[in-house]
Amino acid sequence: MNHMPVDVIATFNVQGKIKPNYIRLEDDSHALQTYKIESIVYSKEEKYAGVSVLLFCCNIKLGNCMQMINIKYHIKTHQWVMVNELHETKETPECL
Amino acid sequence: MDKVIFHIDVNSAFLSWEAVYRLHILGEKTDLREIPSAVGGDIKKRHGIILAKSTSAKKYGVRTGDTISEAQKLCPDIVLVAPHYDLYDTSSKAFMEILRDFSPCVEQYSVDEAYCDMTGTMGLYGSTVVAANLIKDKISSELGFTVNIGVSSNKLLAKMASDFKKPNLVHTLFPEEMEKKMWKLPVEELFYVGRATTKKLHTLGIHTIGELARTDLDILRSHFKKYGELIYAFANGIDLSVVTKEETPNKGYGNSTTIAFDVDDESVAKMVLLSLAETVCARLRKDSVMATVVAVSIVDFEFHHASHQMTLLTASNTTNEIHKAACRLFDELWDGTPLRNLGIHTSKLVSGETMRQMNFFDMDHYEKLSKLDKAVDVVRERYGDNSIMRATFLNNPIYHMTGGIPPEKRKPNNKEGIKE
Repeated sequence: MNHMPVDVIATFNVQGKIKPNYIRLEDDSHALQTYKIESIVYSKEEKYAGVSVLLFCCNIKLGNCMQMINIKYHIKTHQWVMVNELHETKETPECL
Repeated sequence: MDKVIFHIDVNSAFLSWEAVYRLHILGEKTDLREIPSAVGGDIKKRHGIILAKSTSAKKYGVRTGDTISEAQKLCPDIVLVAPHYDLYDTSSKAFMEILRDFSPCVEQYSVDEAYCDMTGTMGLYGSTVVAANLIKDKISSELGFTVNIGVSSNKLLAKMASDFKKPNLVHTLFPEEMEKKMWKLPVEELFYVGRATTKKLHTLGIHTIGELARTDLDILRSHFKKYGELIYAFANGIDLSVVTKEETPNKGYGNSTTIAFDVDDESVAKMVLLSLAETVCARLRKDSVMATVVAVSIVDFEFHHASHQMTLLTASNTTNEIHKAACRLFDELWDGTPLRNLGIHTSKLVSGETMRQMNFFDMDHYEKLSKLDKAVDVVRERYGDNSIMRATFLNNPIYHMTGGIPPEKRKPNNKEGIKE
């Protein structure tokens, strides 16, 4: 499964720091749901193949359970994607 | 102080970059480097050769430059991907940037190779091999692809060393190691020794680099002239060239294209020449130089090459003028055989600021045309190459700006970033 493009609301502070606040994902019935990003566990800059990307590991609340997701911001194209890692593809479908 | 030179070479560059992009940016699961795979051109457009291959494809005998059908015959399961030059440009720049962190003197030798002058950095990084491993590991952890580094006291030996066992390794080849590490290698492995020279050397009974190094210089001189001295010096590990940061200025500008069909119509050929003149002249104008010599090259359907050149009355970089010269050359050169490849090359450059000799018989209104070209360049710079084109290219299968890298090969999936 490839990384999935997602809609994100983010804030940019005066120091140029980027913080994602809300993310919109599809639920089981393919309806779009907005989730608040409760906390950011860590973020780091990646430069694989020379392409600059900001990785955010964050928590969102899905019903009663906290779900950790990785989202990436592509600095050049201004796009957000959700990382579908192996361990996550096991969990996300039933939670979402 | 003894010189310390590194030669850094990306392992199967295009393929590695493609693989890392697919893994980390697109989020695909297969690593192209771990399966038989290759980056190759488009068979339909007859650009079908292998540009880079994975190690496991190499095991099947696939070589860079093979045609795609040859590669598929050798390895039926080979995964072929199209090239994306914009990505390679990005990766290459990031690669050079890391090298510049380690050395003040980095010479980019090609898109995926560079020389670093590391003389005097022992105080910073410790021994040369430690420094080389540091660079190698930093590139692999930050950028995700692997490199080979050759360490020596001059550029030639460093380059030879980076070509030893791959991938992801550091090798040294100091002059005292030459006998053990380089002399036993076949002579065709030596830098600058191509296929033709190899054949000639073999008939002289020279098969290894060591044999070449011990050959009498006069024998080589009589067979190869000046070039004989060069390969003799190289075989003995002698190379006096230095690592230079400055880019050497271009000596000529040229573009060529392989056409998707065989051209047997003069007007079509001239249209292709016009589209080539567009890109060549745009490059000349961008670097504000003018060319005095124009050459046209053709390759016919049986792969026979031919070329023809002329000197212009005055140096120029206007598309119309270069195209006119190219057409004249083409008329003199072409005998009607169907063509698969056309090219325009310009040389003997002069700075664009030089005064132009006015010509009494200037029927082409040079000044007007040169102003027009300038205006077109500005429009294309701002709104893209396709924002303005000659009407003759409307509804025409020939793209109006041929040569260099076509737009569809630049961007991954025709779009920067994420696949939709």
